Amino acid sequence: MVLAFFRSSSDDGGFDHIVAKAVSMLGDARHSFDLATLALLTEADPATVGKDIRDTDQRINQIELELRSDLVVHVSVQGTADIGSVLGFTLLLKKIERVGDQAKNILELSENGVDLAGRPEAARLLEERQVVSDLFLRTGALMRDPDVTDEEISAFADEVSAKADGLQERIDSFMTSDRPGHEVVPLAIYDRYVRRILANLVGIVRASSEPVPNAAEHTLGDDIDD
Amino acid sequence: MTVRRSFADLPAPLRSATVVALIYVFLVGVSSLETGIKIMGSDTQERLFSAAENPLAALSIGILGTVLVQSSSASTSVIVGLVASGALGVDDAVPMVMGANIGTTVTNTLVSLGHIRQSGEFRRAFAAATVHDFFNVLAVSILLPVELLTGVISSIAQGISERLVGASGTEWKSPVKAWVKEPVGWLQDFWGAVGLDGNPKGIVMVLTGLVIILLALTFITKTMRTLVADRVERSINAMLSRGGGMVALLLGIVITIAVQSSSITTSILIPLAGAGVITLRNAYPVTLGANVGTTITALLASLAASSPDSLTVALAHATFNVAGILVLYVIPLARDVPIRAAEKLADVAVERRTSAVAYVAFMFIVLPLIGVAVLG
Repeated sequence: MVLAFFRSSSDDGGFDHIVAKAVSMLGDARHSFDLATLALLTEADPATVGKDIRDTDQRINQIELELRSDLVVHVSVQGTADIGSVLGFTLLLKKIERVGDQAKNILELSENGVDLAGRPEAARLLEERQVVSDLFLRTGALMRDPDVTDEEISAFADEVSAKADGLQERIDSFMTSDRPGHEVVPLAIYDRYVRRILANLVGIVRASSEPVPNAAEHTLGDDIDD
Repeated sequence: MTVRRSFADLPAPLRSATVVALIYVFLVGVSSLETGIKIMGSDTQERLFSAAENPLAALSIGILGTVLVQSSSASTSVIVGLVASGALGVDDAVPMVMGANIGTTVTNTLVSLGHIRQSGEFRRAFAAATVHDFFNVLAVSILLPVELLTGVISSIAQGISERLVGASGTEWKSPVKAWVKEPVGWLQDFWGAVGLDGNPKGIVMVLTGLVIILLALTFITKTMRTLVADRVERSINAMLSRGGGMVALLLGIVITIAVQSSSITTSILIPLAGAGVITLRNAYPVTLGANVGTTITALLASLAASSPDSLTVALAHATFNVAGILVLYVIPLARDVPIRAAEKLADVAVERRTSAVAYVAFMFIVLPLIGVAVLG
């Protein structure tokens, strides 16, 4: 640790390693999402993926703790000049952790006996799952990009918001559906979790560029994304 | 994510030149102080420093002086300048530098008071701050009587000093002294040109030296803090993931030498301790390292002095801090004493918040004032 003082580094004011860790945390959350949806939408055994998801969740929580500590160190050493960025990171970490929790919620659906593999919607849901999984990667790329523009963030937010709005419409349609409850309720709950994940992905990207967002930008109901 | 740009982004040669220039100005300040005292004459010197003949009064002066300037680097540099002028003897200066060690802890204790509103946070922050106080007070309680009875600390320092620059009482031809001679001469000429002579000129030279020392140290500290902030952050993160101990102590030395201020090193730890990011046991060795690291400034100041005694005092400061660590940290039984005392005091402070403020006022102002008034 003394040698760490003398080592030269291109770390941008101490934030590069925080961004790298946060992106790895998001990668873990994506891993959990992929596994949880696999258990729900295919014949994969929930018990088998369950342990992996819970281990990943613990890893996410551990990285979150480390990053919170790093942020306190940053403010203590560098002063309050970067307080906006620190606030953004705090918010961002919370949102990544919530994505991990929502993946766990999806797993719990399959652990509770819900099986969407044989449903007519299964193929469509699997396609949508892949789209959401790709959005995790794009979120990570935007976080890593130091030159990301407001336009790029807005374009991403608009795209994800449109998908979330589509999910909301579907959830609303389930409310008045003639189909039996045991068919539509699991679908509505699953769509609700995915919608929350999408809201958090937008929140992550926004938090990384604007720590205290304008109230007008809360298009995805960020207040209920936990 | 984008972050602010700063002084650290200037080209490396420009940054290095700024730091070297500031150190040069600092050394000019030390030399001005020494020259000013010499101008005053022996009668005035005797009257000014007679209070320091009592070691407890000298200790109190060291505490008060350091509390006043909030920097042991500044106060010990002034002491080195005074010793160089011959106005202050090594025997009188050693208790003063011990006092400077105690006085410098006021800064992080004041920082810890910023956490006073939240009990848990305040308990941790106040304990992390006062563990430094307790260590320094205990070190002085043990080592000052030993020094007064045996002179062991000053003897060790004198031995090293003699090997490096020659015996006490001789004149040391410091190359640095020669480099700063010219601007000090300009200052003398300037004050002479405005009609000052004798004691008034000496007093003004001393004041000029003090102002230069304080300003130069302030700018050195600010500049260095900006320059090494990323390295400090990285090394603290590394320490947090691997624990404390002797390596944390070394880290405290390195950071303090880099920023030229123990107060900065120890004050960084307070919010970390308050937030629970660093434990008291892991913060403690870093503060001890800061004690040792801060002695580099007085050693630097002694380079601009013409007497080997000034180097002896600077080395005595370093020897005292190393001896304190050997007695109170290396011995496992003694290691817990400052920690437990700080925890107990923090418990009391959380119960009665006013007692924390009373502690600071009594420890750093009232007690040393009584020391100077009664024993000086």
